[in-house]
Amino acid sequence: MTDALVLRGLNKTFRAPAVNDLDLTVRSGELYALLGPNGAGKTTTLRMVAGLLKPDTGSISVFGVDALADPTASKRLVAWAPDEPMLYDRLTPLEYLEFVAGLWDVAPDIAETRAEGLLKTLGLWDERNRRCEGFSRGMKQKAALAGALIHDPKLLILDEPLTGLDAAVARQVKDLLQARVRDGATVILTTHILEVAERMADRIGIIQAGRLVAEGTLDELRARTGELGATLEDVFLDLTGERDEAAVS
Amino acid sequence: MTPAPARRRRRPILPQGSTAWLLAHEMRLTWRGTFARRGGSMRGLIILLVAVALFTAFAGVPLGLALRRFEAPISPFTILIADVALAGIASLMLSQTLSSAAEALYQRGDLDLLFSSPLAPRKTLTVRFLALALNVFLTVAMLISPVLAPVALIGHPAWLAVYPVLAATALASAALGLLIAMGLFAVIGPRRTRTIAQVMSALIGAGFFLASQAQSIMGGQRASGAWVRMKRLADDPNLRLPPLADWPLRAMLGEVVPLIALVGGATLLFFAVSTWLGGRFAADAQAASGADSAAAHRPGGRVKFVGSAFVAVVRKELRLIWRDAALISQVLLRLLYMLPLGFFLIRSAGAQDSIALPGGAGGLAFLAGQVSGSLAWIAISAEDAPDLLASAPTSSRVFRWAKLTAAFLPMALLLAPFLAVLAWFSPITGLAATAGCAAAAVSSGLINIWYQKLGKRSDFRRRRGSSWFATLAEAMNAGLIAVATGFLAAGSIWALVPAALALLMLAGLRRSDAQIAKLIRDAAISS
Repeated sequence: MTDALVLRGLNKTFRAPAVNDLDLTVRSGELYALLGPNGAGKTTTLRMVAGLLKPDTGSISVFGVDALADPTASKRLVAWAPDEPMLYDRLTPLEYLEFVAGLWDVAPDIAETRAEGLLKTLGLWDERNRRCEGFSRGMKQKAALAGALIHDPKLLILDEPLTGLDAAVARQVKDLLQARVRDGATVILTTHILEVAERMADRIGIIQAGRLVAEGTLDELRARTGELGATLEDVFLDLTGERDEAAVS
Repeated sequence: MTPAPARRRRRPILPQGSTAWLLAHEMRLTWRGTFARRGGSMRGLIILLVAVALFTAFAGVPLGLALRRFEAPISPFTILIADVALAGIASLMLSQTLSSAAEALYQRGDLDLLFSSPLAPRKTLTVRFLALALNVFLTVAMLISPVLAPVALIGHPAWLAVYPVLAATALASAALGLLIAMGLFAVIGPRRTRTIAQVMSALIGAGFFLASQAQSIMGGQRASGAWVRMKRLADDPNLRLPPLADWPLRAMLGEVVPLIALVGGATLLFFAVSTWLGGRFAADAQAASGADSAAAHRPGGRVKFVGSAFVAVVRKELRLIWRDAALISQVLLRLLYMLPLGFFLIRSAGAQDSIALPGGAGGLAFLAGQVSGSLAWIAISAEDAPDLLASAPTSSRVFRWAKLTAAFLPMALLLAPFLAVLAWFSPITGLAATAGCAAAAVSSGLINIWYQKLGKRSDFRRRRGSSWFATLAEAMNAGLIAVATGFLAAGSIWALVPAALALLMLAGLRRSDAQIAKLIRDAAISS
């Protein structure tokens, strides 16, 4: 089976190197959590995969499609949902979904059915004709997530999808992501809430200074640090060498 | 170890929490915002100051010397001039204060901070509108000072009284603006107030100009200059000016009683209104916040899904343009300025006036380019979700042309009736004007594509215009096309010269896709 995402020798430098010779493989149909300290290069990596940044060197393959040679074909397979929802305040959720469906060229009848389903699942159906400007952060995040899912992407990339959400909304989002994975989609997410990665992710990758420093299931990572009963937080702090800093603070 | 001596705290000059302290804070924010909008560079400020100094030295001072021994008569003619000038300035000030008063009700952020502080809401309102009046006054004062200041200082110190008269006008305008905005809020509710107030503001701003052009619009005798009409009116022996009509002039010339009466009356009006409405302002601002969250809730509203990126972007942009009250008021203001020209053109066509027609057609093309440029600028550069577009499997060219189409559609719909009637009376002029309007609109759109500056839509309400360079290039190009349109309407081969120059200019301004992408990337990195 073709891997969902293959990154090889990926480099990106702004003023300093942000992503440094990164190799990463995400298998099809898994939920992959990409963790790392602030400034480790997670968002830069994912923005390159989504076609928002060009790498300096390296290759990106999305389900076998060379994303650098044929970005349009790659973008058809991918949805990108950043931590700040990509919304238009003066559009209603339904108008927003109509717009996004148009961008991905989804057939109108299919898009309409999907929009209704997504808004109902995410509890936004009653708000479908209300402009997003009055929405809470959670509602905006849900509307943006519906937009990311309207074209039924094979690879869903989410940057900090649960930041700022209350428990109920976070639960809705987590359930929806797990349902997508069960249906065969691949999900890559970054999060600072390690408990989320611990509970949801099939595999976890830890990135630091633009390089992948560890990867595997939680048990594999525990085995690597030699702490079999450790939490992901312990493992993360050990692998990133941040345990001492955490202890001091 | 002896502790390091504590740094002496700087005592604030103004008592914290006082009206003056809060006013200083408001003014600081306003001027920093204005400076940032203008690019924030010291070089720009120096150029402006040098220009003002040169204008003062070469226009203001010679005029001051020439008028040194001139004594302004208090005659019906000078009274009319003073009253009309003050009315014109007052209408522009009221337009500005009404628009700002309505917006103040909907601004969150610092308003929430101020209302959650122990300061009385009345003080917050008073200071906010005092700052508004002060800014409006300073803007006008800066415009007239290069002429007025030398004239007054050289020979007529009493004429410095113009400043307090303008300050009084600004205070009265702020009070009236607040009164109208909150009146609208009470009568038509929070949801519609923003839009209606912005439209009213545009109408008031253009009202004075439209009134002066009434003859041209209504089609009476050929319009003569305002100066001549006032002279004619003043010379009419039957003219009876209303009581106190001479007070504005007398106040401006420094007569104490009219000056005190005007300044005192305006100050009284301002503080009466702000005291009366202070408590209500906080309540209305909260209601406006609720209206935001319930905005445009249309139960059962249907959305027709489309399967094309081009159509989806056009529809999205049209919706956003239509829902942007501030943008609509700006465009409406420009359209109102076009009205007299349009009517004048049609009248001239009806009368087969072969001299007025080409000039009018050129003017229409120029204004079409300007209005389209405004819409194209906001459609192309104001994008709340650039990453969404960038991550979509659609070429950026499709987005650009869709956005331009959305910007041109409202303009085309508004111009179509004028152009159709014009073509009915004079087919050649109609065709020339149509071609000129289309060419001016497209070239303005292209310049806005080439020199786009991506930003959030909410920021554009404050930024209002594009870069100086793009604005200048747009105006120059529209001017060349206007001249070409005029020659074309007159059936002259000379139309080719300005048309070729316009094309050459566009070729010089053109940027490739790669250059545009680099521009956007650089802007994103620097921000």
